[in-house]
Amino acid sequence: MSYLSNTKFDVIIVGAGPAGSTAAYTLAKNGLRVVVLERGRTAGSKTLYGGRVYSKPLEEVYENFRKEAPIERWVKKERFSFMSNGELLTLEYSSTDSTSFTAYLSRLASWMAQKAEEAGAVIVTDIRVDDLYLEDGVVKGVRCGDEVLRSNVVVDAEGVNRLILERFGMVPKLEKRQVALGLKQVIRLDASKIEGRLGLAAGEGLAWLIVGEATGYLPGGSFLYTNSSTISLGLVVFLEEAYQNINQHVFNILEDLKQKQSIKEVIADGVVIEYGAHLTPEMGLGMSPKKMYGDGLLIVGDAAGLLLNLGYTIRGVDFAAYSGYLAAKTILKAHSMGSYNSESLSFYQKLLEESFIMKEMKKHKKITKLMRSNEMFTIYPGILLDTVKKLFEIEYSSPTILQALRNSIKGKTSLLKLLWNIFRTFF
Amino acid sequence: MPLNIIVCIKWVPNTQIVNIDPNTGTLIREGVPSIINPHDLNAVEMALRLKEKYGGVVTAVSMAPMSAKTGLEFVIGMGVDRAILVSDRVFAGADTLATSYTLSKVIEKLRPFDILIFGQETIDSSTAHIGAQTASWLRVPYLYYVVDVEYINGVVRATRRLEKKIEVYELPTPCLLAVAMKSNEPRPVKLSHKLRAKMENVIEVWTNNEVGLKRECIGLRGSPTVVEKCIVTPSVPRKKQRFDGQDVREAVKWLVDRLIEDEGLKII
Repeated sequence: MSYLSNTKFDVIIVGAGPAGSTAAYTLAKNGLRVVVLERGRTAGSKTLYGGRVYSKPLEEVYENFRKEAPIERWVKKERFSFMSNGELLTLEYSSTDSTSFTAYLSRLASWMAQKAEEAGAVIVTDIRVDDLYLEDGVVKGVRCGDEVLRSNVVVDAEGVNRLILERFGMVPKLEKRQVALGLKQVIRLDASKIEGRLGLAAGEGLAWLIVGEATGYLPGGSFLYTNSSTISLGLVVFLEEAYQNINQHVFNILEDLKQKQSIKEVIADGVVIEYGAHLTPEMGLGMSPKKMYGDGLLIVGDAAGLLLNLGYTIRGVDFAAYSGYLAAKTILKAHSMGSYNSESLSFYQKLLEESFIMKEMKKHKKITKLMRSNEMFTIYPGILLDTVKKLFEIEYSSPTILQALRNSIKGKTSLLKLLWNIFRTFF
Repeated sequence: MPLNIIVCIKWVPNTQIVNIDPNTGTLIREGVPSIINPHDLNAVEMALRLKEKYGGVVTAVSMAPMSAKTGLEFVIGMGVDRAILVSDRVFAGADTLATSYTLSKVIEKLRPFDILIFGQETIDSSTAHIGAQTASWLRVPYLYYVVDVEYINGVVRATRRLEKKIEVYELPTPCLLAVAMKSNEPRPVKLSHKLRAKMENVIEVWTNNEVGLKRECIGLRGSPTVVEKCIVTPSVPRKKQRFDGQDVREAVKWLVDRLIEDEGLKII
């Protein structure tokens, strides 16, 4: 106890994921006394994601990011597929440039924590924060068991399962419709096999998203990302829909996907070396607290619901890290003014609104809606593949595109509804 | 008189995620994070309970690469007072003989001590040698599979659980106890302790300069053990059958039928 009463930090950060460590790095670099409290055994050990990070926002925050960060492969090839009855319709884009990379998130987050530590932050692992500590309704630190650690401000970077914020009453209890369940396997495979089978040049990466049968026709998507000598293969299913419609364990869906010819030939003779599952925010801003700040409190990353699923790609790590960066900027300003009340910390909300994060989240609000429509995952993949099948598998006569589409739609949905759905999503 | 308690811990690869090279039969340690040998956490817990009950100081000793600092920070987080990391390239490659010799020489320097506490064995080699060998080098009595310990009038009363009986021993100090695995619930770390470990450079690093041992007695050179051959048991390919029903009774019946019909299982 005596040790803690003699110790006071300017900032306590809860959670050493990308958001927490980036906040810590930025604050420590600017001379503030920062401590990061992490529940896991090591920084980053509780994180899990699909496999790809957009680089630019991180390059703005971390010097020499491209050189130093534990990057696996730069993504040069994008694939998006519909899967139905074992058949695939794939859109593939090969780029000469790359704005994203694959990485193990645990390693990337651990690298960020190390950067923060080098800058002077104290990272304490194996510590579970139970509650915020309040004095006169103002957040003044955290409680861990029967101990209290004090600070001027607390940054909540506890992640998607935000138990501290729930207990504090800042957000309602998490609902099934707000989150998705992700699970994945990491499969070890020689680099030459990865590259040969996926048509990649040495060191190049691929990001592949698949909807339809790949998730057992559940709303969500499957993914395949290439690391240096492993493949990350997994799926994300919206929890509410999955809970209602699922008739088997989700890991069986992943096992079924591994048996599909198109995936099987990619991962052949690979060895599963790791598997995991995690929740992910899926509601766009529907999960975010109205105010991302309070007296002595800022909320960043997944805890703030800052994740965007566009269907063809997902952004979470860059949003999280950048929100941590903006929280740090806010605290530096508050520190110079000597006030950590909600008025001065509201600057964070302003920075967020002005940043690409909120602009992106707002711009793509509609696609989040489409992602929730069942047809997109249950009926459309089948219709599309049926149409394409009719166009390409010619025996004597071939249909026009419209005929093929009409025939494939018959009995499933109306052409009008299909076109309307596409229209309202993209325009 | 407060007790001077020494706990030895080993920094081991997490064998739950280690794979075995099918050709050489050795562990593939690359990329596998190390952890404190879980059975040693039972030893730490026993030491801390003794300290709480009778007063004293708990010192943790580990012979390991520098990365083991993390592990020692963890046990300080649990409440250990002092931690010594015995780390030097010349100690590397040691078998149990060279390891126990080195540890005993380190412990000599920590005299006077009352109770040495070890885990029952390690998860990466499971020899259960180190406690007994260290006690022998130090010429102190030792007892394995200890589940409970008291300290009464200068005497250590230790209870050990064997397969069919419980034995109670009295040992003089100094003595060595090897704690039965899973015999207690290691406590979680405390913020104040962990913060102290982090912020004050509390872990002492001892190289061979501090310990002063002859090269032929330590490390690879001091290790007579030679692993001649490792044989990997072949993995049985899975049949990939799946029961797809809902009813648990049916599932059990299906499984038992498969085992009897396909695998020749006999029910006696």
